[in-house]
Amino acid sequence: MRGLTLRSYQLLAIGLGTLIILSGCGYNKLQGLDEDVKAAWGEVQNQYQRRADLVPNLVATVKGAAQFEQQTLQQVIEARAQATSIKLDANALSNPETFKKFEDAQRQLSGALSRLLVVVEKYPDLKANANYRDLQAQLEGTENRIAVARKRYVESVAEYNKAVRYFPTNLTANYILGLKARESFSAEETATKPPQVKF
Amino acid sequence: MKLHKARSFFAGLVGLLVPTIFSFGLALEVPPLRGRINDYASMIQPDKARELESRLSDFERDTGHQVAVLTIPSLKGDALEDFSIRVAENWKIGQKGFDNGAILLVAQKEHKLRIEVGYGLEGVLPDAIANRIINEIIVPRFRENDYSGGIEAGIESIFKITRGEALPNSSQDKTRIKGNRPAAGLFIFAALIALIVGISRRTPLGGAFGGAISAGAIGIGGALTSGPGLWIAVSLAGAIVGALANFSAAAVWGNPRSVKGSRRERWPRDVLTGGAFIDGSGSGGSYGGDFGSGGFSDGGGFSGGGGDFGGGGASGGW
Repeated sequence: MRGLTLRSYQLLAIGLGTLIILSGCGYNKLQGLDEDVKAAWGEVQNQYQRRADLVPNLVATVKGAAQFEQQTLQQVIEARAQATSIKLDANALSNPETFKKFEDAQRQLSGALSRLLVVVEKYPDLKANANYRDLQAQLEGTENRIAVARKRYVESVAEYNKAVRYFPTNLTANYILGLKARESFSAEETATKPPQVKF
Repeated sequence: MKLHKARSFFAGLVGLLVPTIFSFGLALEVPPLRGRINDYASMIQPDKARELESRLSDFERDTGHQVAVLTIPSLKGDALEDFSIRVAENWKIGQKGFDNGAILLVAQKEHKLRIEVGYGLEGVLPDAIANRIINEIIVPRFRENDYSGGIEAGIESIFKITRGEALPNSSQDKTRIKGNRPAAGLFIFAALIALIVGISRRTPLGGAFGGAISAGAIGIGGALTSGPGLWIAVSLAGAIVGALANFSAAAVWGNPRSVKGSRRERWPRDVLTGGAFIDGSGSGGSYGGDFGSGGFSDGGGFSGGGGDFGGGGASGGW
C-alpha cells in the first residue's frame, strides 16, 4: 500500500515534469507562430499581386488619353515587371538580401504608380472618366490592403522573432525545429501612409 | 553611488514608459460599440437614428450581413484609414467565418468618410462600388449639410448592392452557431463535464452542485481568456444542463436515494424551472454575442460577430 502511493506520486511527478518541459520549450507555440507568419506573409504577397494585376488595366485606360507622357507609363510597366518577377517564399524570409530585393521592387512600383496618378491630374477628361475613377478606387483600396497586410506581418514577425530569440524557446527553435528569425518591414516604411493617391 | 544607480534605473523606467504613454496618446481610441448606429458626433437626427438602427437590424436578420455606422467629432490627427481598420479590428462587425461586415465611418471635423468592407463582402461591395456610394450618393448630400440623409442613402445603397448576391445566410441558424463556435463548443464541454461530475456524485443534489461547480470553473477559465459576460452565461447554462442531465440520468437508471418518496415530488419542479430558465434567457446567454435575433429591440445587445477586415473599401471627403 505504501509502495503503491509512492509509485503513484512518482508517476505524477514524471507526468507533471513532462508537461512542464513540453510547455516550457514552446514547441507548439513556435509552430503556431511560424504558421501565423506564413499566413501573414501570404496575405502581403496576395495584396501586392492584386496591385500588380490592376496595373495593365490602368495603363490601358490611361493610354487612351491623347499624348499622355509615355515615359511615366513606361516606368510603371517596367516597375511592374520587376516587382512581379520577384516572388518570396515564406521560408526565404530569413534572408535579408532577398527580402530587401522584394521590398525595393515593390517600392519602385509604388513610386511609379504615384507619379502616374500625379500626372493624370493634368488630364481632366481622364479624371472624369468613370472607368479610370473605378480603377483609381481599386488601386487606393489595394494600397490600403497592402498597408494593413504589412502591418499584420510586422506584428506577427515581431512575436515570432521574440520566441525564436528568447530563452528557452530559442533552443527548441534552433535545435529541434530549425527556425530562424525572419526579416520585417522597416518601421518608418510601415508607419508612412500608403502613397496618397487622392487629390 | 547606490542612489545614482537607482536614479538611473528609474530614469530608464520612465524613459521606457513615456513613449508608451505617448504612443497611446497619439492613436485615437476606438469608441465602444453602442449599437448599429454609433453617432458620437451627433450628426444624425435621433428619430432617424432609431429608424436606421432597426432597419439595419432587419437587414441583418434577412441577409446575415452586419452593417454599422460610426460618426466621430474628429480624427485628432490620426489617419482615416488607420483609425478605420482599428475600429474594424476592435468591433469585429460581421460573422466569424463569413466576415460579412461593413462600417460607414464619418469624421465630422475633417470632412472625411470611409466605407470599410469586410473580407466576405469585398466581392459584392468592391472598392470601386464603395467609392461610388461615397462620391455619388453620400457626398452630394453631405455637401448640403444633410448628414442624416447622406448616411441613410449610403446605407440604402449598401443594402441594394449586397442584396444582389445570394448570401451565406439564408438559413440563419447555421450562421448563428458558426458565428459563436467557441461558445457553443464550450457550452457542450461544460455540460459534458457537469454531467460526468454529476453522475459520479450519485445524488441529484450533489449532481447539481458538482455540475454547477465544475461548469462554473470552466466558465471562469473562459472568462480569463476572453470577455467575461458571454462565458459566465455559457458556464451557467452548462451547469444547468449538467444538472438537468443528471436528474434525468438518475430518473432513468434509478438512484436509490433520489427516487425515495417525498423527495421525488420535489425535484421535478426544480427541474422544470431550470428548464424554463434555459429556454428563456439561457439561449440568449449562450449566444450572447448574437445581435438582433429577430425579436431583440434595436440596439440592445448588439455586438460584432467576429468578422475580419483586410483594409478593403473606399475613402472620400466632402
